[in-house]
Amino acid sequence: MQTHIISLLVEDNPGVLTRMSGMFTMRGINITSLTVSPCEKEGLSRMTVAIEGSESELEMVRKQVSNLIEVVKVVDLKDEEAIIRDLCLLKVHAKDPEARSEVMQLAESYGAKILDAALDSVTLELTEEPKKIDRFVDLMRHFGVKQLFSTGVTAIGIGAGVER
Amino acid sequence: MTREKLSGAEIVVEELKTEGVEVAFGIPGGALLDLYDVLYKDEAIRHILMRHEQCAAHAADGYARVSGKVGVCIATSGPGATNLVTGLTNANMDSSPVVALTGQVPTSVIGTNAFQEASTFTFTMPITKHNFLVKRTSDLPKIIHNAFYIANTGRKGVVLVDLPTDILAGVAEVDLHPKETFVGYKPNIKPNQVQIKRVVEILANAERPLILAGGGVISADAAVELRHLADFLCAPVVTTLMGKGAIPENHPFCLGMAGMHGQLYANRAINECDALLALGTRFSDRTTGWQLDQFAPDATLIHVDIDTAEINKNMQVDIPIVGDVKLALSGILKLLEKKREKKSGSEWEKRIKKMHEACDSCVEDISREGASVSDILIKEISNLLDDDAIVTTEVGQCQMFAAYYYMTKKPRTFISSGGLGTMGFGFPAAIGAKVAAPDKKVVDIAGDGSFLMTCQDMATCVENDIPVVVCIFDNRYLGMIRQFQELFFDKKYSQSDLGITPDFVKLAESFGCYAERVEKPEELKDALNNAFESGKPAVLDMIVGKEDKVLPMIPPGGSITRMIGTERCKHI
Repeated sequence: MQTHIISLLVEDNPGVLTRMSGMFTMRGINITSLTVSPCEKEGLSRMTVAIEGSESELEMVRKQVSNLIEVVKVVDLKDEEAIIRDLCLLKVHAKDPEARSEVMQLAESYGAKILDAALDSVTLELTEEPKKIDRFVDLMRHFGVKQLFSTGVTAIGIGAGVER
Repeated sequence: MTREKLSGAEIVVEELKTEGVEVAFGIPGGALLDLYDVLYKDEAIRHILMRHEQCAAHAADGYARVSGKVGVCIATSGPGATNLVTGLTNANMDSSPVVALTGQVPTSVIGTNAFQEASTFTFTMPITKHNFLVKRTSDLPKIIHNAFYIANTGRKGVVLVDLPTDILAGVAEVDLHPKETFVGYKPNIKPNQVQIKRVVEILANAERPLILAGGGVISADAAVELRHLADFLCAPVVTTLMGKGAIPENHPFCLGMAGMHGQLYANRAINECDALLALGTRFSDRTTGWQLDQFAPDATLIHVDIDTAEINKNMQVDIPIVGDVKLALSGILKLLEKKREKKSGSEWEKRIKKMHEACDSCVEDISREGASVSDILIKEISNLLDDDAIVTTEVGQCQMFAAYYYMTKKPRTFISSGGLGTMGFGFPAAIGAKVAAPDKKVVDIAGDGSFLMTCQDMATCVENDIPVVVCIFDNRYLGMIRQFQELFFDKKYSQSDLGITPDFVKLAESFGCYAERVEKPEELKDALNNAFESGKPAVLDMIVGKEDKVLPMIPPGGSITRMIGTERCKHI
């Protein structure tokens, strides 16, 4: 099992998300993260899908998704060839002053923003690659994570090339 | 393009005419009153009123497979659309080009559980190649045009257009006959020349080449090219169920259908070949058996298919070619003829000709000991029908008897439910076939179990003067299930005995059909003549042995190298 990130350029029609996710469902593949947003071209959207599966499963589903009429382009984004980002919002327990300053220091070292501070908690934002976010969240668990929100990954190919 | 102010229903009919639609199979309903009002006034499209929506879809499917054109079926919202589902799934699984139009509740109440509302758009997504829910009357020209374009290009399939009543009733000023399509839809047509060269290299040097022809050969109209290649290579051709008819089965290089219920020597030849060229097939388990390492173990596997997603899906191949089978075959032939002379007289060719003589679908008679009544009847039907006759089949034993024994001579004359295996398919498909080819004889090879599932459409046949002949292999069992229970479940006939089934002769007569009972095989010839002579839709109730079995076969889970029940086969 491996996590793969697929970037899809799709026509912005109602039902296209159901159609696309249905393909994964049919093959029993679990989508771990999904983002959909408008892109540089009017009438098209970009979907970034993170899935878990073997290389051959991925290959199969990639071809089947390409077959969908409203899918314009499918790109399998390899770690080394892509910039991958996730935005994470988390509320961390920080009642005692010592914990509080430690949380803030760690946040700073990870490049996380402090969005809000209350008497017993701190709210942080971190935009990073998923692995780094995982590490940060693990650290914060020592203090106690009250809530965690993540937008899901989005990714773009590196260099001047445009995937199309 | 012409700009006109029309109602949605008028736009739909205008666009259907532009697409060359001459006939539609359907049933009206509340949500489709506007559409049917236009069809009533406009006589360019013949509408055949079916008695069940499933049959409308099967008829459109049968029509498409015989004519090579897109079949059209129409059903109302809710139950009309849900009833279509089996038929559409069937057509899509077998890559048959069908456009379905369904009624829908007005857009203002979609999602409110309105009367006869069902979410057709959602539940037909996984069973169609594409589907549309129309939200604006002005979108109709583009949508109808694309429905036909998508259904009939690339890997063909089903496209459904869901039409809310207010969209049909609404008026819009539109440009008819647009050419606009989807940016992301580019069906792979032209095969890659580099791959063609690689294939030619393999085939030119192969000592024992073999061609496996699937339904793609027929849908690409590539039968002529296939025959040329087989002749040039002196290569045997085996087919899948869907590929039956891709090559005349009396051709000396044809070994009939391969696979689970295929010919012994078609499977043997697959074992023995050193290069296997698979054309327009998905390597279904019914063809390959279940032990893939034992399928053509010594061969370089070449796979030509128009659908990229079929490559390496069921079978890992050595050389894939994505593209139209007809173009690929002509490309291969052209290079091959430059590369070397036709060689004949090889050991392989001699062996193939011997194998051909042992093939039950490839030879005229089976006057062997131990042939069952079913064996004899189906071979007799095969001998009595002319080369142009069209045979459709139901699903189960009757289907496999037909696949095994019926000698198919031409493409688009053997119509069967391959992927989905839909009981009840054959009879309505025969209706579509007869409408597509009114001058040809059309015979449905049926079982009593299958026929009961869609026999109400005898009314359609009689009302619309569609004289198809149904030959029922009547054993009062769900025969294939019974056969499996006999062979693999210790003869425990759990729910496969149909018990008291209707008197099919009386049943057919009550609809106004011609009907006769065939108690013995020797009565068949006259009965079939009488049926055709009557000029009416006809039903022949052929009494067969209750324990007749379709043999030989590969047991479920087995390998293509091991068939059981080969005792009655001719051995060479």
